[in-house]
Amino acid sequence: MDRPNGSPAPVLEASGLVREYGPVVAVAGIDVSLVPGEFLTIFGPNGAGKSSLLGMLAGALRPTAGTVRIRGDAIDAGGTEWRRHVGVLSHRGFLYHQLTVHENLRFYGMLFGVPDLDHRIDARLRQVGLDRRAAVRVQALSHGMRQRLSLARALLHDPALVLLDEPYTGLDPSAAALLRDVLMELRDGHRTVVMVTHNLREGLELATRVAIQVGGRFAWEGSVEGLIRSDFERFYHEVVEERS
Amino acid sequence: MSLYMRQVWAVVWKDALLELRTRERLVAMGAFAVLAAVLFNYSIDTAVVRPQDVAAGLVWMTIVFGGLLGIGRTFHLEAQDDALQGVLTSPAPKDAVFLGKAFANFVLLYLVSLLVLGVFTLFFGLDLGSNLGGLTLSLGLGALGFVSLGTLFSAVTAGTRMGETLLPILVFPLLVPVVIYGVGATSRLLASRPLSEVAGSLRMLAAFAVASLAVGAVLFRFVVED
Repeated sequence: MDRPNGSPAPVLEASGLVREYGPVVAVAGIDVSLVPGEFLTIFGPNGAGKSSLLGMLAGALRPTAGTVRIRGDAIDAGGTEWRRHVGVLSHRGFLYHQLTVHENLRFYGMLFGVPDLDHRIDARLRQVGLDRRAAVRVQALSHGMRQRLSLARALLHDPALVLLDEPYTGLDPSAAALLRDVLMELRDGHRTVVMVTHNLREGLELATRVAIQVGGRFAWEGSVEGLIRSDFERFYHEVVEERS
Repeated sequence: MSLYMRQVWAVVWKDALLELRTRERLVAMGAFAVLAAVLFNYSIDTAVVRPQDVAAGLVWMTIVFGGLLGIGRTFHLEAQDDALQGVLTSPAPKDAVFLGKAFANFVLLYLVSLLVLGVFTLFFGLDLGSNLGGLTLSLGLGALGFVSLGTLFSAVTAGTRMGETLLPILVFPLLVPVVIYGVGATSRLLASRPLSEVAGSLRMLAAFAVASLAVGAVLFRFVVED
């Protein structure tokens, strides 16, 4: 749905997000607004609060202060309908290792109320190259294959907003290439993506916007247009050193 | 079937499938039940005490102790790949997740309760007679109250360092009504008293089960939300 002035309505709006763990402030006031087709990559050193930020955007962590809206619905308003629009890929897979590939997707599909589930599962498994392993138990899969299955799980319900936490961790080159292709499809299909990563090359290649998070804040945020990777890498290290 | 019921069913289906694959809890609970019955059998001097007179209390003690072995591990497999987080970030309401897990636990505990009754019947020479229906009903109602509290407190203790020690300390005091009314109903039914004589106990077990289930469904979200 577009706004009256013709600009598309944001899929994700977060304002004044703060997350404290006792005396430690992990996120110290972050605002984000993303419309369909935007791909925000968040870079930052360890302990910058990136995963806490993503946890709050996913509704898995309760913010100490601030609000998050998904397609206009405040996520702390008590309903769960907004979760239907969000897909989460964490560095933990959220998978049951004693269930098969197909059974894992069936379970999550039932929770999300996905229509025509068998057909959707087959399509997602083909997309991530696991269609011939549908009957294999997760415990027998390699790390890369589990990550592909987690991606299929996160996209099974066709979410408008996809949140990715270090999705390239531990992937071999072919699995990384497959992930990159799927993420490009998402971006080009006007899905909204927020990705947290240390991988500057992959992060820049896919992003339409980039942020550098240090000490719980966005130390820098901007469009990727005109960004040159080598210059950005130097700039990133300068910003992190200066703000750490 | 409504979406809510399908979400409850999804959790039941998944937990049942995991249990069938691992048999982790069923084997532990079943083995405990059989061993406890054997030990109780040798612990009674039949020249002084008739086994039938103490069987009901021993049946319920075996169910409570054995049951906690399995119910305490309700969230064990969820922790493996942070799978519970995946469930909690789905649109399934927290109370639907709780009801699904409680019902899956109920099926497990009810099967073990029937096994306990069977084993004690064998060792203690119990006469189930015409009250088999009433006995299975009392076990079922007691099991439902037990798993409602057990599932909730299993979630409370899942993330704690001393969880397995803490769980019985938290749950046992709350299970006193189940034991009182469960033993009351079971002992009379084993003594071939009419079902009408235990209707009050059965009603109390049912009320406790419904109240525990409702409280668990309401409180579960506060336990699992970060």
